[in-house]
Amino acid sequence: MSYSNHNIELHTNMNYSHKKFKLKTRQNLFGWVCLIPAVILIAAMSFYPMFKALILSFRTGIGAKMTWAGFNNYIRMFQDNVFIQALKNNFIYLIIQVPIMLVLALILACMLNDRNLRFKGLFRTAIFLPCATSLVSYAIIFRSLFAIDGFINVMLMKLGILKTGYNFLAYPNSARAVIIIALIWRWTGYNMVFYLAGLQNIEYTIYEAAKIDGASPFQSFWKITVPLLKPIILLTAIMSTNGTLQLFDESVNLTNGGPANATITMSHYIYNMSFKYVPNFGYAAAMSYLILVLVAILAFLQMKVGDKRD
Amino acid sequence: MIEKGKRIFQYIFLTVVSIISVFPLYWMFCAATNKSVDVIRGKLIPGTALLDNLKNLLASQDVAGAMTNSFKYSITLTLISLCICSLAGYGFEIFHDKAKDTVMSILLLAMMVPFAATMIPLFQMFSKAGLLNSTIGFILPTISTPFLIMLFRQSARSFPHDIIEAARIDGLNEFQIFYRMFIPTMRSTYAAAMTITFMNAWNNYLWPKVIMTDDKSITMPMLVANLTEGYVTDYGMLMLGVLLCTIPTIIIFFVLQRSFAEGITGAVK
Amino acid sequence: MKKKFISLLVVASMALSMVACGSSTTTTESGGAAPATETKAESTSGANELTVWCWDPAFNIYAMQEAEKVYQKDHPDFKLNVVETPWQDLQTKLTTAATSGDLSTLPDIILMQDNAFQKNVMSFPDVFVDLTDSGIAFDKFGASKVAYSTVAGKHYGVPFDNGAVIQALRTDVLEQAGFTIEDFTDITWSEYIEKAKVVLEKTGKPLNSCVAGESDLIVMMLQSAGGSLFNEDGTPNIVNNEILHEVMKTYVELIKSGVLVHVNDWDQYVGSFTNGTVAGTINGCWILGSIQTAEDQKGLWQITNMPKLDNVSSATNYSNNGGSSWAITSNSKNKELAIDFLSKTFAGSVEFYETILPKSGALATYIPVGDSDVYGEPQEFFQGQAIYAMITDFASKVPSNNTGIYYYEARDAVATALSNVISGADLKAELETAESTVKFTMGQ
Repeated sequence: MSYSNHNIELHTNMNYSHKKFKLKTRQNLFGWVCLIPAVILIAAMSFYPMFKALILSFRTGIGAKMTWAGFNNYIRMFQDNVFIQALKNNFIYLIIQVPIMLVLALILACMLNDRNLRFKGLFRTAIFLPCATSLVSYAIIFRSLFAIDGFINVMLMKLGILKTGYNFLAYPNSARAVIIIALIWRWTGYNMVFYLAGLQNIEYTIYEAAKIDGASPFQSFWKITVPLLKPIILLTAIMSTNGTLQLFDESVNLTNGGPANATITMSHYIYNMSFKYVPNFGYAAAMSYLILVLVAILAFLQMKVGDKRD
Repeated sequence: MIEKGKRIFQYIFLTVVSIISVFPLYWMFCAATNKSVDVIRGKLIPGTALLDNLKNLLASQDVAGAMTNSFKYSITLTLISLCICSLAGYGFEIFHDKAKDTVMSILLLAMMVPFAATMIPLFQMFSKAGLLNSTIGFILPTISTPFLIMLFRQSARSFPHDIIEAARIDGLNEFQIFYRMFIPTMRSTYAAAMTITFMNAWNNYLWPKVIMTDDKSITMPMLVANLTEGYVTDYGMLMLGVLLCTIPTIIIFFVLQRSFAEGITGAVK
Repeated sequence: MKKKFISLLVVASMALSMVACGSSTTTTESGGAAPATETKAESTSGANELTVWCWDPAFNIYAMQEAEKVYQKDHPDFKLNVVETPWQDLQTKLTTAATSGDLSTLPDIILMQDNAFQKNVMSFPDVFVDLTDSGIAFDKFGASKVAYSTVAGKHYGVPFDNGAVIQALRTDVLEQAGFTIEDFTDITWSEYIEKAKVVLEKTGKPLNSCVAGESDLIVMMLQSAGGSLFNEDGTPNIVNNEILHEVMKTYVELIKSGVLVHVNDWDQYVGSFTNGTVAGTINGCWILGSIQTAEDQKGLWQITNMPKLDNVSSATNYSNNGGSSWAITSNSKNKELAIDFLSKTFAGSVEFYETILPKSGALATYIPVGDSDVYGEPQEFFQGQAIYAMITDFASKVPSNNTGIYYYEARDAVATALSNVISGADLKAELETAESTVKFTMGQ
């Protein structure tokens, strides 16, 4: 018995090493084949138009009449007060909103991943709802909530925090705060979905072992959940950075960039430059490329920190 | 006792967050059942004008047509997109090497330019190809997205490599391993990706509004936009339109959420 | 085991190929649909058919459909295809098509916001058809209205709806403070503020509201004295614009005295008077539609003209806000038909305007209609005032204004200055910033 077993093993081994080289190449080839449809589509649908936009960013003119401008558009945006204000606003949103949102999403995902919790489905659906809620209704609601006679002011006055109504959307800092609150409200559930999905791939036994070893819930969250979810956290961090630097909806619909451009975002300004004002697509394209550079740098840094395979 | 206190806190916290999250939907529902002037006056209880609003909406807009279009575009896009992107994500992670990591980084650049900048060259391409007012025109630019590829790539990192080795010894070819091993194991990721892709496709607005020039091709978000234009807005009718535009995504989420949260549960106690 | 596995694979590949088939059927389906739309576009050019883009079912779409009926009386084969396209979308589609140099997607006729008319004609001169010698009688429209769609002396638009400014007031509230509508007719802003303060004191109600950060009221006041944000040569006219200085001062005073309140968006603006928290409004006459949604306020409203600026010799009580005009695109294969259609309806039929008025409240800028009996009918909601005849009269007295190509840029810059001035910044310095912002945008 043992002899025949040994024999088979030897046979397979020999066979294996014989084919090993061929197999490796074939596997590697398959790896590339997997990418082909996706890469071709992205090249045609994104990179080609991006290349066209890059050329456009070196041109200038009204509407369809464009002439060569060299780097003028790129120099111009740093002399453009509205654009610089927009750039600052985007970074304020990024620095404050993204960390709060991601931490909150992670906490909610962990809470909802509890198998002893009742009404999980309802809670999950409720918390996901904001990102499915149409912009039209949510903008109307947020504006009226923060109006001078709106719900928030009424509550603050009842609690004695404010004496008279405060017009949140009329002052730069409070208007920015409203945008940040709206963003957190809208996107926390969205990010939670990815964490929930990621948590399913963590073996429950790891937690039980940690518990037996005397780890507190906080410790197991910090030592097990966060490291194992790191790839997904990286993903959401990059996506949120990208989303915040390209923020458009809230600036247009909640504050219309006001008061006096205090909340306008780069994408909002680019849109105005393309479709509201006299169209200057060369300049709009140049500003778009600045966004690309900024996001790319931030994403690169995030990947340096978070995309190591152990 | 401490366990119980924590449990109660957990329920209270989740309930508060849920109420804050659901409130606009409740408001939308109330608004859809009230007359326009009551909506503007901030009435917060359901009214009796639902049927009138529905009648007005159906009379002024082709709701059935827009619904059908939206479903057709979104479902087609979601299915094709999931196949292509999950395969790519699998390829990137399971067979990862330096070259593929570089390709992934380059692909990520594709999402970093605001769409307003690439829209016009894209429109030129689609117009020349005769793809305006068509399903394929709607879906083609967003079938393959760096986001979805990266989602599958990141999720595949927790996919155990010994399963692959075992399957190879069992004689499965590479595609079989992807189909038979990877897809079932990553069910939760697929469910999450499906929800998000469907939602993004459903709510996509800027692109369809450029390529859909025929009123037979309009989508639900375009229909809602039709309702907001004009000198006098009928808010009751508008909110009914918005509600109808929101419900499908909610149903899809509710159905699929089980799939991405069942199984191994109980992460934090 | 192996067999089961193979059968599973077969099922799987079938499922996959179904997805693939699904996509290919949609391809063929859309491939089939594309030629269909093309033939449709061609039939538009061949037969008696026109395609129109406009956006309001209760208003301009309705008007177009009625115009179709009027025209069909003499041209039974005529067919009109109205595609509902919100203004924002229309502008996006127009810009995209014109910039990409592919005009084939454009319809025969588009409705254009008057404020955007000059900008679009100057940015995309190839898109629009010059109507100057088309035989359309432009002198039958109010001169200030025609000015919006006139670029370098050439006419590009057929005027449609009226944006003449009215002041609507709750006379029941005025009564409590001892005033009537006559006390607010033909007055100046300083008189207005004085009287409105009394109303505010006695009833607690401000007389006007507007959206913070928007420039509508500013521009209405400016135009009422014939002022513009641009000189004739197209250079911005902000810092040295005396009318604008007066406008800004008046506006700040309105806010400080509390008779004008700021709200955060359009919905709250409409809410402020339909709720009755504000007892009046000043806006383009199309606002009457929103006022009338509050059915319980029937008979409590009256309208009159707006106050005029103090210290400005050219000041009047009339202005304009909003409104739109029809333009014909160069893509149209049926330009002659489109011109004939518009000239026999929107630019030539009193009967047509009489038909559309009662249901839509669409007020013409076509002067011959002003004497029509339909326009003279008393309106119950406004205590029997013949508001339509009044508005037509107002419209004929509106001074022209020069929007210029950079109109939106200038409006936004001035609105920014205004927000800052209200929070305490220096008027002159802010106007200087506004002018340099506009100049910066104009320098490519």
